[in-house]
Amino acid sequence: MSDLLNIGRTGLNASKKSLETTGHNISNVNTEGYSRQRVNQTTNSPITKGGTVHGTGVRIKSVTRINDDFVNKRLEKAISNGEFFEQRMERMTQVEDIFNDLDSDGLNQVINKFFNSFRELANQPENETIRSVVRDQANLVVQDFRRIQDNLNSISSGIDENMKAEVTDINQTLEHIANLNKKIQSLEAIHEEVGDLRDQRDLAVRNLAKSFNVHTYQDNKGQFVVAARGVGTLVTATQVQRLQIGTSNKENSTNGLPGSADIFFEGKPAHLLTRKFQGGSLASLAKVRNEEIVAIKNKVDTIAYNLTKSVNAIHRRGYVNRNLDVNEQGSVSSIDSKGPTTGINFFKEPTGPGDAAINMSLSTAVQEDLTNIVTALGPNSPGDNRVSLAISKIQHERIVGDGEGQATLEEFYLQAVGKIGLEAGKAKLDAEQADGLTAQAVSIRERLVGVSIDEEAANMVKYQHAYQASAKIMQTADEMFKTVIGIKR
Amino acid sequence: MSRVSENSSSAALNFSLGKAKSKLEDLQMKGSTLKDISRPSDNPISNVEALSITSNMSDNKQYQRNADYALLHLNVTENSLEQLTDLLVKAKEIAISQSSDFYNADVRKNIANEVNQLRNLALSIANKRVGQKYIFSGYSTLTQPFDVSGKYNGDTGHTTVEVAKDFFLPLNLNGKEIFFSADDTSDKNTNPLKEIKQLENGETIENKRDLASTEGEKLHKRDNIFAQLESLSVALETNDAPLIQNLLEEFDDSISRLITLRTRVGSITSSVTNSKSRLESENIEGATRKSKLIDADIAEVFSDITKHQAVLKTTYKSSQGLMNQNLMDFLR
Repeated sequence: MSDLLNIGRTGLNASKKSLETTGHNISNVNTEGYSRQRVNQTTNSPITKGGTVHGTGVRIKSVTRINDDFVNKRLEKAISNGEFFEQRMERMTQVEDIFNDLDSDGLNQVINKFFNSFRELANQPENETIRSVVRDQANLVVQDFRRIQDNLNSISSGIDENMKAEVTDINQTLEHIANLNKKIQSLEAIHEEVGDLRDQRDLAVRNLAKSFNVHTYQDNKGQFVVAARGVGTLVTATQVQRLQIGTSNKENSTNGLPGSADIFFEGKPAHLLTRKFQGGSLASLAKVRNEEIVAIKNKVDTIAYNLTKSVNAIHRRGYVNRNLDVNEQGSVSSIDSKGPTTGINFFKEPTGPGDAAINMSLSTAVQEDLTNIVTALGPNSPGDNRVSLAISKIQHERIVGDGEGQATLEEFYLQAVGKIGLEAGKAKLDAEQADGLTAQAVSIRERLVGVSIDEEAANMVKYQHAYQASAKIMQTADEMFKTVIGIKR
Repeated sequence: MSRVSENSSSAALNFSLGKAKSKLEDLQMKGSTLKDISRPSDNPISNVEALSITSNMSDNKQYQRNADYALLHLNVTENSLEQLTDLLVKAKEIAISQSSDFYNADVRKNIANEVNQLRNLALSIANKRVGQKYIFSGYSTLTQPFDVSGKYNGDTGHTTVEVAKDFFLPLNLNGKEIFFSADDTSDKNTNPLKEIKQLENGETIENKRDLASTEGEKLHKRDNIFAQLESLSVALETNDAPLIQNLLEEFDDSISRLITLRTRVGSITSSVTNSKSRLESENIEGATRKSKLIDADIAEVFSDITKHQAVLKTTYKSSQGLMNQNLMDFLR
């Protein structure tokens, strides 16, 4: 009869534990990263008594979390991918905003107006007012080139800031994971349940997956290892390899931009990792900064360089709009009281295509004196408009590139804008698609490991009933005891 | 049967709500701007085409301005030529009537005064200005082309104006071709950039001095309209009938040259007008095409908005049942 009491007690215990677990599940229904837990119970080992085998009740074997590593890995992958395109879309949108000429006067319009101001000047080459209009338009062109380069630079340095913040985050997460590893190790050594800690660790790994493609595994000593694909191991059990970020100045930078932070292992600045990360926001940021921004910046520089060079080449040929003295041979002195009379540059002559856009400016001669804006091919010809006409025709000359790829400034610029638009559009589509895939992966995981209140409610009823029934068994045993004891009276 | 947990259903709901809302937001944006594309990535190809149309149209606007300016110039030129022709016809009439011996020296002397007046009138026409520039002095537009003696101080430059892409028309007639006897006044439409192109091949600028003011023999005042009028006046004063007769031929020459020039100006004017109207229609076409590229189809946008509002409402409705109820509500 003591057996019966005991069996009832085991049932009571098991049901109570199950109810506890149900409660734990319900209370964590909205905990991020939580996976539902399940009580595994088994029959107690039977005993043989008087030749028959007797069951001895129930025993709690373990409490385990529902988990599928494959599903987790798939989710991590989806997160890395999604974050990559999300970041790419965001940055490319910023870049394309600079080149959004539809609503505002972008570079194309400004350059167009610049050339048209020369056409206007060709109508009335002797008109001082139109000369000043030409100079104003040229200044607007200069400003717009600078606006574009400044904005690109600020996007690039914004990316640097983001990377810095992200590296700090990553290091914290790495420490967190190492800590969890330690706790899990020591708890598992004494066979405690660690589902909750493992959930936390998985969540931390998923956080890392936002920054880069994560690879996790148990090595042959049973140590939990976190590695970044393409980069190397970051956590081995309790050991952490921290990351560090450093900025170099423009001359030494890897991309020729003022903002160019690079990532490396702590204490090993010679070995740059920035471009080795795969997937996730780090790779995305580095790609936009080192490829797209650099490419478009170079293109804008090319436009500025060719524009400056071509305008100057023609402008130098003409003579200033002043009355010049002619000597007996009919030739004109190359210099007068206001400076040279011919060979004047319109823009400051660039030293090379690099940084041509940001360094662009009007030449001092043109800046200081309107008569230095040349319209005439010959001296003393205020009505000669051939130079202005020739400059205005640069607009339609194929002066950029060589061989097959020759294009006018406008064509070249529009190609560049088109490419940015395409890339941004593609990033948008990719981000949308990746978003869908992430949602799908989340949903697959949540279906498997998420808590369902309905299910828990049903379990609660079930376990409560079992608890009540076990109690009934004990009550029955008690009554049986009473009966037995009552015989003696 | 696939298992559904609280989080999986709320995630699914979030996803579908987010999708429906972002689509609606996009449509509302289109509805408020009435534009189908508001940034390059919306449609890179249309965007680029629209930009190139925009710059094409503003070029055209400039060409139209150029054309207007050219018309002003050409009309003044045409007027001046008309006046000059009338003036020479009058001089010729005088010469014809005076070439016979019908009139005596006194009458001729009086008429000489009238001829002098004609010469003064011709001079004022020759020095005509539009704004601040003299229209008959070639490139030297700020120099008065003819002095009192009738000497030409301008040059033979032809200012050209671009009235449509790569279509250059000469804007002015220079004093030489109007007032001096015709020799090389070709009306070929030369591209002004030819000279610049040549220079690109390393040639240096030669000092442009086929200027009239350097007393070149061609442009000497001897054989210009002023000289003819002067001769007439002198002949009248000196009562020199044979000279007057000789002058008749010269007047005929000048008149026929002026008529040729007027035809030329007329044909240039009509070219300008033609190209102007062509530009206008081109601009309309451009605007139509651009609108097709970037403007939203309003009817479509608004019907889409209504449709998506309905979708969103349904999503809300369906979530109502999902989010607020579970088995707990039915257990007692």
